[in-house]
Amino acid sequence: MKTTICLAGVLALALAAPGIASAQNNGRGHDNHGEDRGKGRGHDGHDNRGPDDRGRGHDDRGGGDRGNGRGQDRGPGRDDHGGGRQHARGPDIERQVEREVRAITGDVDRRRVVVDDRGPVLVLRREPDRGLIAGCPPGLARKHNGCLPPGQAKRIARARYDYLWDRRDDGYVYRYDDGYLYRMNQQGSLLGYLPVLGGALGLGNAWPAQYAYQPAPRYYVDYYRLNDRYDYRYADGVLYGLDPKTQAIGQVAALLTGQQWNVGQAMPTGYDVYNVPYAYRNQYADGPDRWYRYNDGYVYQVDPTTRLIQTAIQLLT
Amino acid sequence: MRSIMRRALAPVAALTLVACSGGDDGKTAGAEAARPSSENLAVALKGEGDLDTLESVTTNSGLASVLEGVGPYTVFAPTNAAFTAGGDLTGEAAKAEAAALLRAHIVPGALTRQDIRAAIDRAGAGGAKMRTMADGMLTFTRDGETIVVTGPDGATARLTGDEELASNGVLQPLDGVLLKPAAPAT
Repeated sequence: MKTTICLAGVLALALAAPGIASAQNNGRGHDNHGEDRGKGRGHDGHDNRGPDDRGRGHDDRGGGDRGNGRGQDRGPGRDDHGGGRQHARGPDIERQVEREVRAITGDVDRRRVVVDDRGPVLVLRREPDRGLIAGCPPGLARKHNGCLPPGQAKRIARARYDYLWDRRDDGYVYRYDDGYLYRMNQQGSLLGYLPVLGGALGLGNAWPAQYAYQPAPRYYVDYYRLNDRYDYRYADGVLYGLDPKTQAIGQVAALLTGQQWNVGQAMPTGYDVYNVPYAYRNQYADGPDRWYRYNDGYVYQVDPTTRLIQTAIQLLT
Repeated sequence: MRSIMRRALAPVAALTLVACSGGDDGKTAGAEAARPSSENLAVALKGEGDLDTLESVTTNSGLASVLEGVGPYTVFAPTNAAFTAGGDLTGEAAKAEAAALLRAHIVPGALTRQDIRAAIDRAGAGGAKMRTMADGMLTFTRDGETIVVTGPDGATARLTGDEELASNGVLQPLDGVLLKPAAPAT
């Protein structure tokens, strides 16, 4: 019974693919950036990420006059995760943000910095379970208590750097073997698996059939200057480029933290050091009344006292 | 050695760097912008003889293209000697481990030592924290003038040598690996 519950939970998390969250919505649509988001390039098991699902989520961001129907797309409608729906910003906060945006745009060089006043800030999330796939990996038969009988799990090698694979203190055991990370219970029964960067998700490998992903949003294509040679997709903190003909991984394009930065909410922990890219340091320098921090293609303005995020700033040339 | 040559060939940039980082007194960050070289992180890594092993690990992991990209990232770069305890991560069978280890040594954005020192001074005894691309936390503290980095499992290392300001981030040489090797399998 316990195993059944665990498997069900894993399955639910696996189906909850890496998604896009909106950290800020100024509500002016996104006419020139939204067309190719979320076009349902997901695998068969996740057909709810296609265009038909666009706009189902993110209806809880307040400000009914902001509108989001002019073609802007926060992606694939896979936004039914708790983290991505933390947009409890009322109209007051939204107006405050817009005032701040105007104040900043008055100071910056518009040729180099575009403050996001056209649509939502898109944040590629990192799922707590990283899209773990329930069940048995290819080549292993399902047993009554998992994919391996107790004890046999020892065949899966212990990695040199154990922390690389251990996932916090969640009571499970994680081991790596031959391109996959395996999650087991304390008795050694296999509960799920995950393809990992450099392993099953290494250069030249075909995308694992059951592994969920998110098509790269336009903003990230623009920011990271991704070319047309590959189809780009996001999973577990990584932007991959896939050969459109072979579907093999041809490039690891960028690493992302997947941390949630939502305007009006507290800055995530782990950004104590000023880290703004060189080119923007003159414009976004820390001061006594405002901090600036970079994360995944955006600079965020933060109140040093409350640590609340005040503004999200796009960095597109 | 090659990095020294590069700096020698770029006196203007070097002078600017000296001017900007002089004093390193923990002032408010940002206004005194650092001046990076025109080389990206991948090129800077190749140019550092004491980071040969990390370069091989990076190539093996398939992440060299990340260090050639827009970024920016700061790479806490274990020197050659730092890799002796963890085994070989440059072989075919260690590609995933190499990628995971590299992610655990990269943080978002450009962090200069001046920035890190300023953050430590603000943070006090608990140290300043930065999240890695492996979703772990690095903690920065000071031991005199030396910056000490502690990894998520308690492994510690010190910043060593000179930082390299690349076009898409910063290389911060480190005298250790920020993860503890696991005990041998039983």
